[in-house]
Amino acid sequence: MAHAFVASLQSEWLKKKGSLASWMVVTGAFFTPTIIIIARLVYHERLPALYASDGFWRLLWKNAWESMAIFLLPLGVMLATSLIAQLEYKNNTWKQLHTTPLPFTVIFFSKFTVIAAMMLQFLILFNLGIWLAGVIPQIIIPGVPWPGAIPYDYFLREDVFYFIDCLPIIALQYLLSLHYRNFLVSIGCGFIFWIGALGTLSWKYGFLFPYTYCMFNYLKAGVETKAAVPPVNIHGMAIGYFLIFTVAGYYLYIKKKDKG
Amino acid sequence: MLSLETHNLSHRFSSGQDVLRNINLAVEQRSIYGFLGPNGAGKTTTLRLILGLLKRQEGSISVFGKPFDKNRIDILRRVGSLIESPSLYGHLSAKENLTIFQKIYQCPAANIPHVLGLVGLGDTGRKKASQFSLGMKQRLSIALALLPAPELLILDEPTNGLDPNGIIEMRELLKTMNREQGITILISSHLLAEIEKLVTHLGIIHQGEVIFQGTLDALKHKQQQTLHIVLEAGDPHAAMRLLLDDGMEALYTDGGIRLPAMTKTEIAAMNRKLVSAGVEVYAIRPVKNDLESIFIDLVNP
Repeated sequence: MAHAFVASLQSEWLKKKGSLASWMVVTGAFFTPTIIIIARLVYHERLPALYASDGFWRLLWKNAWESMAIFLLPLGVMLATSLIAQLEYKNNTWKQLHTTPLPFTVIFFSKFTVIAAMMLQFLILFNLGIWLAGVIPQIIIPGVPWPGAIPYDYFLREDVFYFIDCLPIIALQYLLSLHYRNFLVSIGCGFIFWIGALGTLSWKYGFLFPYTYCMFNYLKAGVETKAAVPPVNIHGMAIGYFLIFTVAGYYLYIKKKDKG
Repeated sequence: MLSLETHNLSHRFSSGQDVLRNINLAVEQRSIYGFLGPNGAGKTTTLRLILGLLKRQEGSISVFGKPFDKNRIDILRRVGSLIESPSLYGHLSAKENLTIFQKIYQCPAANIPHVLGLVGLGDTGRKKASQFSLGMKQRLSIALALLPAPELLILDEPTNGLDPNGIIEMRELLKTMNREQGITILISSHLLAEIEKLVTHLGIIHQGEVIFQGTLDALKHKQQQTLHIVLEAGDPHAAMRLLLDDGMEALYTDGGIRLPAMTKTEIAAMNRKLVSAGVEVYAIRPVKNDLESIFIDLVNP
C-alpha cells in the first residue's frame, strides 16, 4: 500500500505540472509581496524611518497577510483544490485512473496530499516573497538601513496556524469537487461559504463556520475591527472540521457507483 | 482456458431501465474477441462493469480465473484498457501522459518510447495532447493501454477517429501483438466490417442481450446457411403454387419468392417450368449474405 501511495503521489505531482492550479500557487504567492515592493518603491522617502523601526518584519508580515488571509488565501485554496479534481473531469481521465492497479483509498489520499503539498509550497513561496518585499527596496533605495533580524519562530508558528486553518476549506472543497462533475458547483458553493464567513465574522458564534479560521487567525493579531475574535481554540476546531469533511469526502468517493 | 468470463451479468440504471440482461461472455486466452453491437446495445456498459468502473449489481465477473471484486488490483495490473473517448491530460505531452501511468504501473521507463513508436507517435516531442488530432489522441490512448505490457487488452471502439490507413495499421498492430506476445484482446465495435478481418471470436449484443457468441468460423457457417435465391414473377401466387407442388422450400416475401441455394442447372430447370406454365419470370438472382448482413439480420430479426 505504501509503495502504491508513493507511486500515485509521483503521478499526481506530475499531473499538476503546467496546470492552472500550479500557476496559481506561484502567482498567488508573489502577488501581494510584489504590490508591497512597488508601493515601497513609489513611496521610497518613507523607507529609512520604516526600516529603522522596531518590529519591521512583524509589520511587513501583517501587511502581507492582510489581503491574503481575508481574500486571496480562502479563494485561492478553493480554486486550486477544485482545479486539481477538475483535471480528471475536464480530461475525461477518471475512467483511466480508476482502471489502474491502485486502491481507491490511495487515489483519494494521494490527490489530497498533493493539494496539501501545494498549500505548503504556497506558504514557502509566500514567505520568500515577504522576505524579498523586505530586502529588495533596501537594496534598490540608497540610505535605507538593514531592517534587523527576522523573527523566524513567529513566522513559522503563524505559517503552521494558517496551514491548519485552511485545512477545512481544502477538505470541503475536495469533497465537493470530487462529488460534482460540474466545476461551478464546487466554486459556487465555496464562494457562498466565503461570503458567509465574511458575514459571520462579527457574530459571536462566527467561529462555528469553518471558512472563518484564516480570517480569525489574522484578526486575532490585534487588528481593530468589528470581528468577534472567538474565545475558543480555532485551530483545534479547524482540525476537527478537517477530519469530519475528509471522512465524509472519502466515504462519498468510495461509495460512488459510477467511477468514470 | 478463459481470460475473461462473465456469468449472468445484468445491470439496470437508477431509472429502473434494464441495460444488460444475463450477459455470459467467455473470452478465450490468446483470442481476439470482437464484441459487436449497434450503438446503445450495452457494449460500453459491459466493459465498464468488467473493469470495475460501474458497481456490479447482478452476476459475476472473473478475469484470469479469479473473481474481479476480490482481486481488483492484481487483475488490473495485467490489464490495459481504452474505454470510449480518449482519456488524456491535455496540458501534458504524449511522453508526460505516459510517464504518469508508468509511475503507477511501475513498469520500465523504456516502455514509453517503445509504445509511442508502436502507435507512430515517437516524434511528437513537447506538443501538448490537447493540440493532437482525434486520431493522434486515439493512438496515444492505445499506447497508454499497451504501456504496462498487459496480458488482456480491453479496447472500446479503438478505431474511432482513425483514418482508413490508421485503422489498417491498428489492425496489424493488434494482430501482431496477439500473435507474437499472446495478448488476449477484447475489442468492441459497432461495425462488423471493421473487425471481421481481426477477430477470432465474436460476441454480438443487442438491446442488452448476447444474441450470438462463438468463433468467426461459426458465424461464417451461419453465413453459408443464409445463401439463397430470390425469384420475381408476374404472378407470384401461381409461381408459389408451382414451386411448392414441386417440393421446393419456397417462401413468399415482400421482395419476391425466397428459395434455397441451388445449382445453375436447377435454376434453369425451374425457370423453364415456370415459363411453360405461363408464369412470367422477371428476375432470378442469387443472394449471398456478407457477415454484415448476418449481423443486421441478427439484430433486426
